[in-house]
Amino acid sequence: MPKEYKTPKLDELEKGPWPSFVKEIKLAAKKSEMSNDLLGQLEQSYNEKLGHWKHGGIVGVMGYGGGVIGRYSDLPDKYPSVSHFHTIRVNQPSGWFYTSDALRTICDIWEKHGSGLTNMHGSTGDMVFLGTTTDHLEPVFKDLTEAGWDLGGSGSDMRTPSCCVGPGRCEWACYDTLQRCYDITMRYQDELHRPAFPYKWKFKFAGCPNDCVASIARADISVIGTWKDDIRVDADQVKTYADEGLDIFNDVVLNCPAKCMRYDGEKKEISIDNKDCRRCMHCINVMPKALRPGVEQGATILIGAKAPIVEGALLSSVLIPFLDIDDEEEFEAFCDLIEEMQDVWCEEGKNRERVGEFIQRVGMGNFLEAVGVEPIPEMVAYPRDNPYVFYEDFYEDEDE
Amino acid sequence: MAMTVDQIADAMYKEVEEATNFGKKLKPMDLTKAMLKAYEEEGVDKKMCKSAIKNLVDSGRLVYTYFGGSYLELPHREGAAND
Amino acid sequence: MADAAPQRITDIGPPDFQQFLPPVVKANYGKWKYHEIVEPGVMVHVAESGDELYTIRAGSPRLLAIDTIRFYADLADKYCDGHLRFTSRHNVEFLTTKKENVAKIRAEIEANGNPVGGMGRSITSIVHTQGWVHCHSAATDASGVVKAVMDEVIDYFKEEKLPAKCRIALACCLNMCGAVHCSDIAILGIHRKPPRIDHKNLDKICEIPNLSASCPTAAIRPATVEGMPSVEVIEEQCMYCANCFTVCPAMPIADPENDGVSIWVGGKVSNARSEPQFSKLAIPFIPNNPPRWPEVTEAIVKIIEVWAANARPYERMGEWIERVGWPRFFKLTGIPFEKEHIDDFKHAGLSFKRSAHLTHEA
Repeated sequence: MPKEYKTPKLDELEKGPWPSFVKEIKLAAKKSEMSNDLLGQLEQSYNEKLGHWKHGGIVGVMGYGGGVIGRYSDLPDKYPSVSHFHTIRVNQPSGWFYTSDALRTICDIWEKHGSGLTNMHGSTGDMVFLGTTTDHLEPVFKDLTEAGWDLGGSGSDMRTPSCCVGPGRCEWACYDTLQRCYDITMRYQDELHRPAFPYKWKFKFAGCPNDCVASIARADISVIGTWKDDIRVDADQVKTYADEGLDIFNDVVLNCPAKCMRYDGEKKEISIDNKDCRRCMHCINVMPKALRPGVEQGATILIGAKAPIVEGALLSSVLIPFLDIDDEEEFEAFCDLIEEMQDVWCEEGKNRERVGEFIQRVGMGNFLEAVGVEPIPEMVAYPRDNPYVFYEDFYEDEDE
Repeated sequence: MAMTVDQIADAMYKEVEEATNFGKKLKPMDLTKAMLKAYEEEGVDKKMCKSAIKNLVDSGRLVYTYFGGSYLELPHREGAAND
Repeated sequence: MADAAPQRITDIGPPDFQQFLPPVVKANYGKWKYHEIVEPGVMVHVAESGDELYTIRAGSPRLLAIDTIRFYADLADKYCDGHLRFTSRHNVEFLTTKKENVAKIRAEIEANGNPVGGMGRSITSIVHTQGWVHCHSAATDASGVVKAVMDEVIDYFKEEKLPAKCRIALACCLNMCGAVHCSDIAILGIHRKPPRIDHKNLDKICEIPNLSASCPTAAIRPATVEGMPSVEVIEEQCMYCANCFTVCPAMPIADPENDGVSIWVGGKVSNARSEPQFSKLAIPFIPNNPPRWPEVTEAIVKIIEVWAANARPYERMGEWIERVGWPRFFKLTGIPFEKEHIDDFKHAGLSFKRSAHLTHEA
């Protein structure tokens, strides 16, 4: 008989209109002793305002250095079934598209080998299996790979790349995010499974500047779709929006950061000075039937985003203003550059130093030089405003 | 005499053993750098080092560990593990 | 470590997404023309070919039992020829070409307790981390705070009645496994007390030079304590980031009375109108008060209501504050401005007000 825990604190979180994670844990607890003990331990955390997990650093599947996060209860005598409670990250399909059969296979595997609790999905994008024991790791891996699934990243490796829904269901996708995410994931399987970097190395693929995968805030390499030519305008649809009551002048034109739009209220016509357009997406977001990105599409490549630990948070900054990443040759060049950057960062980077921090430490100029990219004004918001310039070459007396 | 991947793996294993005696952990890149420094003249390159590491881990002689960074260590019992 | 099976499969990567795409997606891949939100939580994408694809988006607790996933799968079989997807913010989406299925899907998923919504000018699901459910370094729970907040703001999920979208995120410590630092509202777990040092075990389980190097403010120095090699922490220099604990488990930092959450506002990742920006500190500290964190939910509801009442259409939280100024934000929300709001880390001066551009009241 499983222990029955009294959980008055957690029960409070079964109430209310938003779907309850406590209900989910209780659902899993009906079949899994692990989930039942999790419930008990979590109630204790709620009473004490303290977590009760220890971080493991060794467990994993044979040959891989990523994909499993070791977790142990610090109250194993009280909650023996969560004495080991490791996380497994399972690499999600591009765009989080599934079939019902695929999901059922996943569920069956996890019912057999673990707590029956998951995250759909973790913040990085993986499916997360919450809680299993060390002796189940190889068997669950065997069942997963036989069903066509593999583990995601963790530790100092390439983390599982992710992407927005892209051309699968979005008219704004300026390149094939789903395909390029898949390509990068497959090309760098070794880097994903065998940590060889100073710290994590994240890739996110967003199809347009709305950045639905938050690549600019989270990815070391942020790939954000954009276009070169003119915004496509459907003049009839502009009129329809006006007739339907959209305040085009105030809501669209005045919100344009480049002030490159004009609106003729009498004719109900929009004109755009496209050379000044910053590709921000606002006007297109508001009038999706009337305005569309141009047809000469590609991506901006940015580098270096990260959360605060260790040296402070960073947003990615421009490395390549425009790349036709769907083009195979340009994609190969992109991969060459990635590998060049990996080499430089591996060679000189410190433990737990993300590439963004590395660039801060050595200087963007030096980094660009090391990876063979020319500095261009698109890379900066403004040129330096301090005179502390390091020069490597200067004229000696006799040169004068 | 050019070194083989197996010989590099043995040399790496020795490095890890020695580091363990000093209570030091090594990252894959530390091992690669050490090999390149010691044996570059014998034809050792990064790619061979990568293969050597894969051999060591696939055979279970070394394991990856994670303590705020990923390391290669001799297999040992997890410090945080419960009995 | 288990023995290697004779024929181990490795490095196969995820399944090719192509096999999971609905036929209408395959047929119109990259050829979508426009979309519109037809009712809260439901949108239709129309392709150049004229094909239509309806998406019904439902909120989920992220932490899912396999029984619930199976329920989603059954629903997808019943109405969507077995196709569904998830969003980057943990919502589940049912995809169908049949308009007549929309109401049925809505009815069944809502009956299961999953609200439909989270599109357009709404609050969608909160991106969050593991908290006390599964993390060793959590300064607060994640799922519980999220549930408590979403219970209060669910009407903003189900209806589009805000000036713009509002993205809320929660991270249970500064590691920020979720991208909370660029959210309209970020809830961030924080510690407020320096780590305790387990001198007896430190040298056995941690590398001292590595540990010293892990501190962003160089507050950790090697020291011999009771004859044993260990470290000392210069407490005035510690800002409780817990990076040392991540590197060395002998530096526990969690503390029930001093751990809690901070609230940050005005960040965004989208490039629309204004450039992406970080969230800024609104409330430095609220103690943990499980199971429902009432002080946290109250503060968040207040911030949302003030923004909703004062922002112009399409103005995100940060854009509104940028326009009216931070003094107005603090005044309208009634949040006290304190010493902690003023940055004192690297490049702090960049955040000082360096102009006379101020609003005044006569």
